[in-house]
Amino acid sequence: MFSRTRLVLGLQPRLTFSLPANSTRNAFIARRLISNTSSSNAQHANSRNQQEQLSSRVDERHSHSAHILPQEVDAQGNQLNAYRHGPSALDKAVHLFFFTEIIRGMWIVLENFFRPPYTIMYPFEKGPLSPRFRGEHALRRYPSGEERCIACKLCEAICPAQAITIESEARMDGSRKTTKYDIDMTKCIYCGFCQEACPVDAIVETQNQEFSVETREELLYNKEKLLANGDRAEAEIAANLHSDHVYR
Amino acid sequence: MVSLMRTIRSVRRVGLREWWRQMQYIGDAKSGTYIGKDQFGNRYYENRNAEEEIPGRHRWVDFAQHDYNATQVPPEWHSWIQHIRKDPPTNDVVLQNSTPPWKAPYVENLTGTRGAYKPYNTVVPKIKAWEPTVKSRA
Repeated sequence: MFSRTRLVLGLQPRLTFSLPANSTRNAFIARRLISNTSSSNAQHANSRNQQEQLSSRVDERHSHSAHILPQEVDAQGNQLNAYRHGPSALDKAVHLFFFTEIIRGMWIVLENFFRPPYTIMYPFEKGPLSPRFRGEHALRRYPSGEERCIACKLCEAICPAQAITIESEARMDGSRKTTKYDIDMTKCIYCGFCQEACPVDAIVETQNQEFSVETREELLYNKEKLLANGDRAEAEIAANLHSDHVYR
Repeated sequence: MVSLMRTIRSVRRVGLREWWRQMQYIGDAKSGTYIGKDQFGNRYYENRNAEEEIPGRHRWVDFAQHDYNATQVPPEWHSWIQHIRKDPPTNDVVLQNSTPPWKAPYVENLTGTRGAYKPYNTVVPKIKAWEPTVKSRA
């Protein structure tokens, strides 16, 4: 009994403030929240009247008032348009399926809760990778150990990002080799044109994708770095080229 | 409760000690056949039973180092664990035949350490800095 009176007392000011006549007057007294305060400058002067006129008539359509309203009967006694005031079949279907959709979605969540996880636990497990994957670059050598690159500069010419810089000199034995083979890996777009342009399969993109570094300078590869990449991964590169050579 | 049964099955197979190690590193109880070990001591496993392991998770590595990262896997095993090659390098004839005698020892990605790669110029620089010389006054 006592608590009920207190509840009514507690609700009373809020009820009075929600009345439109008092709301403007008590605007500074009422607790203003963004969620329940209307923007004063974004509305027209007669906006309140407009809002009262606007209604979606949801209550009317949900009240199933078809049986309350007087039925329209023609001369033979047949009902005319009996469902005119009720919710349409589309409204009913929408409410039925949208409500059950929540339950159906939660059921899928519940099913997957009891299933083994699909997550691939990198770096312990890894997803499949193509032998044609284009990752970190490497300069290859012949099986004799002689470096393949002949400084034809086709890769430098075709590189759309212009990431490759080559300078060459003739060696003592007359063969032309590069003295400078720089790839700016920050410019490279990993399109693979360089390895396609190469006539001797010298520059290749290995399947290594884990060459992230902490500083930008470490991504400016020179010839020694590229040759070292090739020397380490030559078995993998050659095996991938072997497995793919029938399609080339 | 397939996931719980899978966990219990794996624990019964690999033992509590190995299960504890797996929970510390992989974070999941897994069991499969031992495939091999690389030169760094990383151990490789496989379980191709699709009922027990989701396809895509059927090959995994148990890193030897506590401070593990993905680049500690050498290239030969990298091509196995990334499903590039079907057979492990221990019995992959193509991979063994294409291994050259001058193969360099593999090092992991050393970025952030003193062994990190530092770029340098491999040719004589073409642009010389201006070295001012003062003419002797008469």
